[in-house]
Amino acid sequence: MIAVRPSSLSSLQLASLTGTGLILLPLIYVITLAFSADPDIWYRLWTTRVPELLWNTISLSGAVALLALGLGVSTAWIVARFEFPGRRIWEVALVLPLAMPTYVLAYVFNYLLGFGGPVEQLWQYLAGPHARMFSPQSFLGATLVMALDTFPFIYLLTRSALLNFNVSFEEVARTCGASPLRRILSVTLPLLRPSIVAGVALVILYVVSDFGAVSLLRYQTLTYAVFQQMTGQLDNQAASILSLLLVVLALLFLLTERWFRRKSRFYQTAGRYRAPQRIHCNWLQAAGLTTSLCVIVGASFGIPVSLLIMWSLSPEALAILDARFFGFVWNSALLATLAATAAVLVGLPLAYLASRKPTWLNTGCLQAAYAGYVLPGPVAALAVLVLFLKVLPFFYGTVLVLVVAYVIHFLPAGLQSLEPSIQQITPNVEEVARTLGMSARDTMRHVTLPLIRNGVIVAWVLIFLQTMKELPATLLLRPVGFDTLAIRVWLEASEEYYQLGAPSALLIVLVGLPALALLRSRDWRAA
Amino acid sequence: MNTPAQHRPMDTDQPSTRAHHFPQATSILELRSISCAYDPNRPAIRDISFSAREGEIICLLGPSGCGKTTVLRAIAGFEPVQSGEILLSGQVVSSPVKTVPTEHRRVGMVFQEYALFPHLRVADNIAFGLHHLPRAEQKRRIEEMLCLTGMEGFERRYPHELSGGQQQRVALSRALVQNPVLLLLDEPFSNLDPDMAGRMRQEVHALLRRMKTTSIMVTHDHDEAFAMADRIAVLNQGVLEQMDTPELIYHLPATRFVADFVGQADFIAGRIRQGLIHTELGTFPNTINGSEGDHVAVMIRPDDVHLVPDTSATPRIVARQFRGSENLYTVQLPSGQIVHSSESSTSVYQEGTSVELRVSATHTVLFQAEGPSRP
Repeated sequence: MIAVRPSSLSSLQLASLTGTGLILLPLIYVITLAFSADPDIWYRLWTTRVPELLWNTISLSGAVALLALGLGVSTAWIVARFEFPGRRIWEVALVLPLAMPTYVLAYVFNYLLGFGGPVEQLWQYLAGPHARMFSPQSFLGATLVMALDTFPFIYLLTRSALLNFNVSFEEVARTCGASPLRRILSVTLPLLRPSIVAGVALVILYVVSDFGAVSLLRYQTLTYAVFQQMTGQLDNQAASILSLLLVVLALLFLLTERWFRRKSRFYQTAGRYRAPQRIHCNWLQAAGLTTSLCVIVGASFGIPVSLLIMWSLSPEALAILDARFFGFVWNSALLATLAATAAVLVGLPLAYLASRKPTWLNTGCLQAAYAGYVLPGPVAALAVLVLFLKVLPFFYGTVLVLVVAYVIHFLPAGLQSLEPSIQQITPNVEEVARTLGMSARDTMRHVTLPLIRNGVIVAWVLIFLQTMKELPATLLLRPVGFDTLAIRVWLEASEEYYQLGAPSALLIVLVGLPALALLRSRDWRAA
Repeated sequence: MNTPAQHRPMDTDQPSTRAHHFPQATSILELRSISCAYDPNRPAIRDISFSAREGEIICLLGPSGCGKTTVLRAIAGFEPVQSGEILLSGQVVSSPVKTVPTEHRRVGMVFQEYALFPHLRVADNIAFGLHHLPRAEQKRRIEEMLCLTGMEGFERRYPHELSGGQQQRVALSRALVQNPVLLLLDEPFSNLDPDMAGRMRQEVHALLRRMKTTSIMVTHDHDEAFAMADRIAVLNQGVLEQMDTPELIYHLPATRFVADFVGQADFIAGRIRQGLIHTELGTFPNTINGSEGDHVAVMIRPDDVHLVPDTSATPRIVARQFRGSENLYTVQLPSGQIVHSSESSTSVYQEGTSVELRVSATHTVLFQAEGPSRP
């Protein structure tokens, strides 16, 4: 029942195996490196750094998860269950923080909450000249920034679960005499639990693998430590041990998320869909809801973007908008184009074979390609770096190393849109082309590819936009003097040159917005 | 629109026992000229009035979009009424100015998709409406209910571990365990395969009778309504067309719509002459007091028409549909008029056979002629 000839099948197979090898080899190598390390290094790490790093990472994840949970579930509830002027605008506005990379938000909050910053001035004006705010470069600061940046994951999953919620459950609870509070606590929330937990796991996965915010806020987590081991200590073996730990941690949360996502599918029992009736608000309630949403979206998107625009229009910032700046734009675009094209070329055979000939080998290859999900940027960079240093040292410091790291890191996001687009077309249309006398190659060119074109384009654009804002791998692997927009933001922000980083940051946020449109109702992990 | 009871054509004992089952019973539910607000997603209902006596099973029957579910939801308190009143046990629960919340109405409801809470075990699903009772009492009631529905031993299961029929029993138990004043069933059998649906119908009917629960059931399937109901309310486009016992609904439909909806019906054109109605199939008594020369239509059911092969006759068989227990023949009269006839399973005639038609109706249903009669 396969629409392709054995000969072309084997060439596809070859391509898919090569792609899998490309992804798995660095990963395997970094793991062997970790295990082959001197027991002394393990011992030293376990007794000195690991407990602190683990505690920092886990406590930050926990705190961010809690805060994001509160923000995400309450905002989702507001837009799904209440009717008030501007509700539709808020529905979209609450997704916007996802367009903001964590390092941009951290950079703005460094200024906002920093020593002598506007928030502290306001606070001193209210509470006396010696009152102090908490520093952004603290546990609280990191928690706030990460939660504001990640709560839309929980918002989106909860909202879609609420919109698909079978109202009959609540109605039947009413016929059983349940009060409104009891309906929420013992029917609605328990039924939303799988979706909410999946969102929380996603947030934690994001926090664990984040580099941008924690590096700018100087908060020591495992991911940040991997980066420091590679740059400061130049100790790749210690870095690989920490990476291994990180991968295990990330894998744990990824599996949690998968498990609950499956469970949530199973909770949505079949039934006639009936839109839930929204509660109509009087003007007082509407004003209250609007104010709280204003505060949340303002803090996570509105104020940061306004500040970036203001800074970009300052004379200092305008002065740097020269040929050098457009060089950075060009570098970013070039890298993103290369990475997106390479990832689509690697991903297509994988997704096609797994859908058309689901042998254990082919599905295994596809699953392996999803490994990038549990690889934080610095780890992907480390894996590629150590392998290239070992096998092909003369490529070290070229764009090629960087592109390979991007492909490993972002292929899962691309596969998320390639896979369904291939699964949507039935093999029958390929088979009927063959019965009409078309060769396998022509069938591929005239039937299959045109049908999956949209999926391919979406995958390409997503990877392109992801690469545009990628920070840690670029920072570690770029050729000397090869700066991108993300690098500029990070470098200027590290030196607290807020105005100078603003044009690049603003451009990254603007470029991130179309990705949100593409991702609507898709897999939000790619954001 | 109700047909007076003295017109009842059948004198078998079953319908009379049904009709006189609850001679003096008070009415549990009363709808007085209910209309519901127009919402583009939900069919409007206009001026619906009926009442249900204690222990009675009433079916709301009609095609999809006729408003039957809206009526049910208005009774449950999910839909506000635009005009009219709904009374439960003599208390006004819905009127344009007030709507008593569902949770205070003491109605039980079984949804089409059962809506069993997927996160609760069978026992906890059934206990959901009993949380105000002491534990021991809850346990006793649950066990009693499981026993009544034949679900002993399933209390620790989750809904997804049950078959469709078992899920329905649990949904029914959950609704009945709180001793509701009124039980509402929304297309309860439509998610079951036909075999299972038939069995569940009998079981549910027996259970409702045993518990003497006043019930309103919504369905689009007339066989289901006939099997379950004491009385059937036929709805069409938001209006109550007829409310009667199943036998009257079938044999003396008040409107053409009812005649057509509850079974196969042919309408034969006729004309009143000298107090009789003359049609292609012979003469019928004039029961609608039409005046001389009026055009009317006579409703004929397939089971009223008997076929006798006769080479000299002009009607011809144009199609035969084998249905297992019967053969349904489509016969064309010389005028082109189509008549259906149901014959025993073993009477097989070839298509094209000339047949003589013998109409043996014990009662005649006439309608004013309105355009070309439908086949």
